[in-house]
Parts: sequence; C-alpha cells; structure tokens
Amino acid sequence: MNGDVSVRILIVEDEPQIRRFVRNALAAEGWQVHEAETGRQGLSEAATRTPDLLILDLGLPDMDGVSLVSDLRHWSSLPILILSARDGEQDKIDALDAGADDYLTKPFGIGELLARVRALLRRRPPGGEGSSQFAFGDVAVDFSRRSVTRRGEAVHLTPIEYQLLSLLIANAGKVMTHRHLLREVWGPTYAESSHYLRVYVGNLRRKLEEDPAQPRYFLTETGVGYRFQA
Amino acid sequence: MDSTTPRRLPISPYLLALAVCILTTFVCLPLRPLLDVANIVMLFLLAVFLVARLLGRGPAVVAAFLSVGLFDFFFVPPQLSFTVSDAQYLITLAVMLAVGLATTHLTASMGEQTALATRKEGEARELYEVARELAGALTLGQVAEISQRFLERAHRIRSTLFLIHADGELKTVLLPDHPHGAIETGFIRTVIDRGEMLEIDTLAGSGMAALYFPLRTALQVRGVLAVSPLDQDEDALHALRPLLGTLASLMAIAVERLHYVDVAQDTQLQVASERLRNSLLAALSHDLRTPLTALIGTADTLALAKPPLPAAQQEAAEALGEQARAMGKLLTNVLDMAKLQAPHVTLRKEWLPLEEVVGSALRLLGAALANHPLRLNLPTDLPLVEFDAVLLERVLCNLLENAAKYSPAGAAIDVTAEATAPWLTVTVSDRGAGFPAEKDGEPFDPFALFVRGLAESSTPGVGLGLAICKAIVDAHGGTITALPREGGGASVRFTLPLGNPPAIEEERP
Repeated sequence: MNGDVSVRILIVEDEPQIRRFVRNALAAEGWQVHEAETGRQGLSEAATRTPDLLILDLGLPDMDGVSLVSDLRHWSSLPILILSARDGEQDKIDALDAGADDYLTKPFGIGELLARVRALLRRRPPGGEGSSQFAFGDVAVDFSRRSVTRRGEAVHLTPIEYQLLSLLIANAGKVMTHRHLLREVWGPTYAESSHYLRVYVGNLRRKLEEDPAQPRYFLTETGVGYRFQA
Repeated sequence: MDSTTPRRLPISPYLLALAVCILTTFVCLPLRPLLDVANIVMLFLLAVFLVARLLGRGPAVVAAFLSVGLFDFFFVPPQLSFTVSDAQYLITLAVMLAVGLATTHLTASMGEQTALATRKEGEARELYEVARELAGALTLGQVAEISQRFLERAHRIRSTLFLIHADGELKTVLLPDHPHGAIETGFIRTVIDRGEMLEIDTLAGSGMAALYFPLRTALQVRGVLAVSPLDQDEDALHALRPLLGTLASLMAIAVERLHYVDVAQDTQLQVASERLRNSLLAALSHDLRTPLTALIGTADTLALAKPPLPAAQQEAAEALGEQARAMGKLLTNVLDMAKLQAPHVTLRKEWLPLEEVVGSALRLLGAALANHPLRLNLPTDLPLVEFDAVLLERVLCNLLENAAKYSPAGAAIDVTAEATAPWLTVTVSDRGAGFPAEKDGEPFDPFALFVRGLAESSTPGVGLGLAICKAIVDAHGGTITALPREGGGASVRFTLPLGNPPAIEEERP
C-alpha cells in the first residue's frame, strides 16, 4: 500500500471538486500529485514534470481530450487514464485509439480509481523487455518456444489465436479497442470485421479460462474492446 | 376535321374555284389563235394548281373537272361542243384530268401537313409554357391551377386533379372557381392500380369525365388527371390524347418534385430536432454526472479516511456514497430511457456471442450478485447474434439485478439461452416472490407502478429498469415477457431475431 514518493501523477481536470477528491485519494497513497485545469496547462505540466501517469478528463474547456492524447503520444509513452462523463462509447474509443491506456466513466468511486491507477503504474516501464515466460492462473506461455500449457498439459492454439494471446499479454492491463486488435492481428482490411475478433476471443476463453462465460483474464470492455488482466 | 377549310363560309371556295375556271377560259379565248392547244392546257393546270394551293382539296377537284369540261367545250375542235373530232384529244383530256387531280392531291396534302406542323408547333409551345410554369410551382394547388387554366383556355377542357397522399388516401385538389365534372372514383382507383390511361364512353353532355390519365413517376402513380370536354364533341377530346398524356407526365414530375421537397424539409427538421435532443441529453448527462462524481468521491474519501472516522460518521459516509451511487444508476437509466424514446433509435449492432455480454454483465454487477449462486446454461454452439452490446448488457444487468433484489439470499439465479430459428431466447429466472398474477404483462409499462411482493420504497428505479429492457428489446425487433416460474419465483424471457451471421473464414494452418 505504502506508495513510492517518487511516483508522480498529473491530473488534468477542469472541475475543482473532482480534482480535489482525486488529488486527496492519490496523495493518501503517498504519491506526488500535480494538477492542471486546462489542456494547454496539462501539456506543459506533462513536459516539465515528466509524470509517471496522466489522469485526463475528456471534457476539457479549451481543447479536445482526444487531440491532447495524440499530441502527447508524439513524444511520450506515459500511461494515460481517461475520465469520461460523456455518453456513448465513441469518445472513449477515439481516446484509446489515439493512445490512451484505460478509462473510467463518471461517476466512479475511489476504489475503482485506485485499482486502475495501480494497474497502470504496475505496467511501467511500458514495453520493457520481460522474460520469455509468462504465467496467469493455471496457464503458462513460453514465447521462445511458442508453446502454451495449462495445468502442465499442452494447449493447441491456432496461429491467429496465439498471435492474439501474445498481443493481449504484451498489453496486459491496457484496454485494447476492437479496431486496434483487428488491425494488428488480421490486418487493416479486417478493421470492420469485428465478429472475427469476438469468435477468437471466445476460443481463447474456452481454451484458457476456467469458466468462459465468466472470464477472469480475458475481460470484455463492452462496446469498446478487450483487456487482458493477469 | 379538315383544318385547311376555313370554317366560316363553307360555300365560297367552290364558287371561287368556279370563278377561277371561268376567268381562265375568258383569258384564253382571245389567245386561242396565238397559242398552241397544249399551252392552253398548261394555263388551265396552273389555275387548278392555284385553286388547290389557296382553296384546298374540295374546290381543286371541282376546278380540275371543270377545267377539263371548259377546255373540251371551248378549245377542242369542234368548238362549242363536247364532242371530240380527233381521238388524240381524248388523251389530252385524260392527261389533263389526271395531272389536275394529282396536282390537287399533292398541293392539298402539302398544305395539310404544313397546317399540322404549325398546329404541333403551337402545341409544343403551349406545353413548354406549361412545363415552365409547373417547374416553378410551389404547391400542389398551383400545379392543379396551372394545368386547369391551360386546358380550359387552350382546349376548352374541364379537368380535375386527384392526388394520393402518404397514407394512401385519395384527395382532390379543388379550386374554387373551376367547375368539376362528375367523377367516378372507381375509375380513378382502376387507373391508379393499372397505371394506365382509361377512356370512358360517356353520354354527351352528361358532364362525366371521359379520360383519366395516371400521374406516373418512376416509382409509383402519384395521382390522376380526369378530363371532360366543356363544349367540344368527344372526338375532339380524344384527338387531344397525346397532348393530355404529355401534360399528365409534366404534372407527375411537378408533383414528385414537390413530394421530395416535403421529404427533404421533414428530414432536415427531424435531424435538427434530433441533434437538439442529443446535445440536450449530453449536456444534462455531463452536468448531472459531474456533481455526482464529486459526491461519490468525497463520500469515499470520508469512508476511507485514515485514521478511520468514529463508527457513526463512518456509517454516514458509507450511506452517503451508497445513495449517490444509486442516484448515478437512476440517472443512467433515465438518460437511457430518454435516448431510447427518441423517434429514431440508432443501434450499434454487431455480430457477437451472447456469452460475451452475459460475462460482462456479471462482472459489472459483481458484488450485487454475491449472495446468489448463478447457474448459467448457455449452449456452446449458440450462433452469433446481431445486437447492440452496450444495450443488451444493460438488459441483462437490469434483469439480473432485479432477480437478485427479489430473491432471498442464497437462492440461485438461472440464466438460460436457446436458439430455435428464428429466435434466440434468453431467460433469467429467480426464486423470489414472483410477479403478481393479475398484473402479468404490466411490469413493462414504463408508467405502471411496479409492485412485486416487496415494498416499493426498497426498490428504487426498478420499474424504469424493466421499461428500459423492453425498449431495448423492442428496438432489436424482439419480445420480452414476464412469466411466473414453476415451483415459485419469476422468469423474464426475451427474444432476439437470429438472422444470418457472417461467415468466418477457416484459418489456414
């Protein structure tokens, strides 16, 4: 629990009430918190403070949150958690496609907020070269041998299933949009054929989950995409 | 009808023809010693030609015969007698008659054709004028007025315009100062059904419309133009059929154009009102969610305070958070309902397995279902179904939450699915108090109070939750029903159309 004081989190949110409780909740964990009210201010804070995590409200008065994300992604890979009060999934999808990592829909509680923040902080450094072994539940993946075993027994995955699994594991904790996954695994011509993705995620669940109807690892972000959570 | 014959004085052309022949005879008589007989024949033929050109076919025929007679009597020896001494003159006379008649025929036909061409040109000009006016018409009344004025003035025809309205009803476009003939609506219906012109033999002067023209466009018949003569005979009217047919086409185009102007205006209005509605809902959503978020966050801050608050305050902080969360759910439901009650609900339909939304609904509910063992019975071979995942997740969440609320702790909740063409049937069943029998079917009325064994106050927003389920399932073309469950409890069953899921290409190894 006791946070690392070197962790810096930047909040970009125009509502002072929300900013205040988010700041208090994060500070109570022992993290250093910086605040910004506008998108412009947020961008310059992000450049000067080099935070470890950005919490960004999509409904900023001066600029579109989605374009802020894509601006930031030109020079930074810091994890971004989106706060969205808007209805409809499209704005979240746009922000995630632009490079955001996760989202929370208002209203949210402190418990949810902290869980997401911890998960994102755990992910850093992003893209860090881990070992060639990965394990979750009773499943073990050996990337060097391209093999998957469950309770010690080999599980047969098709090439696409394996590719999808690797991509999800590589982005563990991050929400991956349907479009992104389809583009990466099937190629750009399949960007609108989301039924392929649904069927293959279903296959992975059937092969690797205890109860495919109540998955623990391959989580559905309804209307948005999937998240692998170890 | 012979348009080349002037109508006013029908006898004078014949007298004129006679005069011309006699004049020719008198001109030729003094020239007789000077001219050859053959040239005198030429002069007579010239006279016949002139008569044919100027006076028309009938007088020219008379002139041809008369010329032959006069020539024979005055110029062929023996003179002043019809007897012919030299048989050769018989040939002269026969050729003269033949040439005279042929000239008559050719000249008269030419005149007739010129007249016809002039008339056609006049008609074309008239139609062009009407077309121009119709193109500028802004209302259906103007279309009727333009065509009626044209027919009445130019052709002495009485006309009535019938239009088919959007609801299929037939309506007359009535103009106050225009007399209307007796119309048989049965004929109108026939014309609309067949899409072809109808011609009726009517008693003269009965005032019955004699011709019915469909206003036919590429896709449908938009109306009927019924015409009857004001004072002409019916033959004259029937001769105008091609003109009337063209007029009907022009009117059809004008009516069609006005129809699409209406459609475009309606659409524009609808888009504008929908945009207003959406931006209003988005603003409402934002403005209500922001303080709610602050409220929940602040309540959580208090509840999680270190060191912990005294027990009473801790309890109050938790209750505050709980109530704010309940309000958040209610707000979501109210806004969803408002969106679903829009005239055009847009669904983000995708093909996906039911299992996926069941899973996400269960995860979303989490702790709310902690006291109830879940029994899922989803066949593994269920086909993909096309639905809006976010909305269907809402349906399942609402139904499961409801089931949990009304069941005693520890009672199982069953979710079963079954695909029997053409429906996917999903049932959520509990072992709670069940629906009151006499109110069966009513819980899904958004305005009906939902009573179900427990006190209303302890179940806020339940009626709305079920109303949303119904609105969502309806929008997908499915049905939703509440049933008492055998052995106690309640079941809610909803269906979704199965359709034809897209194919998945087999992966090549």
